[in-house]
Amino acid sequence: MKNTTILVIIGVVIVAVGAFIFMNSGSDINGGVIIDDTQGEVIQGELQKVNIGIKNYNYYPNTIEVKSGKPVEITLDKSVSGCYRSFNINSMGISQYSKDPSQKIIFTPTKSGTYTFACSMGMGYGKLIVK
Amino acid sequence: MVKEFLKELNGKRVEGELIRTFLYSFIVSIAIIGIAYFVSFRKIPGFIDNYGSYLLLASISIALITSLIRQVRAYKEFACMSGMMIGMTAGMIAGFSIGLYLGATNGMFIGSVLGMLVGIFMGVWMGKCCGVMGIMEGIMAGFMGGLMGAMTAVMMINDNIKLAVIIVSIVSYVILILLNYMIYKEMKENERQRKEDHTITVFLSIILIFIVTWFMVYGPRSSLFG
Repeated sequence: MKNTTILVIIGVVIVAVGAFIFMNSGSDINGGVIIDDTQGEVIQGELQKVNIGIKNYNYYPNTIEVKSGKPVEITLDKSVSGCYRSFNINSMGISQYSKDPSQKIIFTPTKSGTYTFACSMGMGYGKLIVK
Repeated sequence: MVKEFLKELNGKRVEGELIRTFLYSFIVSIAIIGIAYFVSFRKIPGFIDNYGSYLLLASISIALITSLIRQVRAYKEFACMSGMMIGMTAGMIAGFSIGLYLGATNGMFIGSVLGMLVGIFMGVWMGKCCGVMGIMEGIMAGFMGGLMGAMTAVMMINDNIKLAVIIVSIVSYVILILLNYMIYKEMKENERQRKEDHTITVFLSIILIFIVTWFMVYGPRSSLFG
């Protein structure tokens, strides 16, 4: 087999696999969570407000209990700085940078379970228990 | 000189076997991932979204690394400077790539540990073509590359990680192809020392893609990915 033919085969395989990945991506990876990024708007239902600060180089409180099906509003207070302000709950698909305490992280967990939240570097972390 | 190299990719020297080696390794990797996907991984929610692009890029990286291994093994011995460059590039890119892909899916610990191990192994294996200097260079580059790859991925988690990984991977591919060219340029007057079949290519591809896939899917994760 000529190398030109081999190169064509390689190109076709890469394009085919890439197309397969592209066409099959976008499935539900948010763990059944409705992420609400319409900040400042009124959210129907009981709003569960959580205020998070920093203690011993980690989020405090770092174990949070919330109820399923009701919106959660997380505020990172002034003590939270640097990469800690980049808040992630990866298994829910939540990833948000909160520039200051006025920028809240709002979402509605719909599945009960224990989720880990962390900063973008994984330096600060904790548990979100959805009941 | 570049034209000569491109011409030699169709020639009878070891450079003429690089594209074929790439194809064998790539097909083996894709076949293993494909079989694993249809047998088991398709039941994992969001598998393609979470791992698909990284596994494709990892397969291309592994194919380029196995092509490099074939070329280096064919000449067996190099001058110190060339050997050091080979050990450093092989160790750095192998470690960085594995660290990057695993760092993007599992976090800093698994990404850096496996990146370092693969990088150091490749660096030593490729660097020994010029003796202890190449081995030292390979160890240092593999160690550094593994840590850097995982760190880069973790730091970019919230900032277009998939696009960043594609760009960084393309840069790595270009570096490996340039190393192929450098080896040709340095060794074009020399005779081939070793002729071998594709057993190492296939074996290495299976081992590497198995390690990457297994740890990506079933390996421990940092709190960031909990």
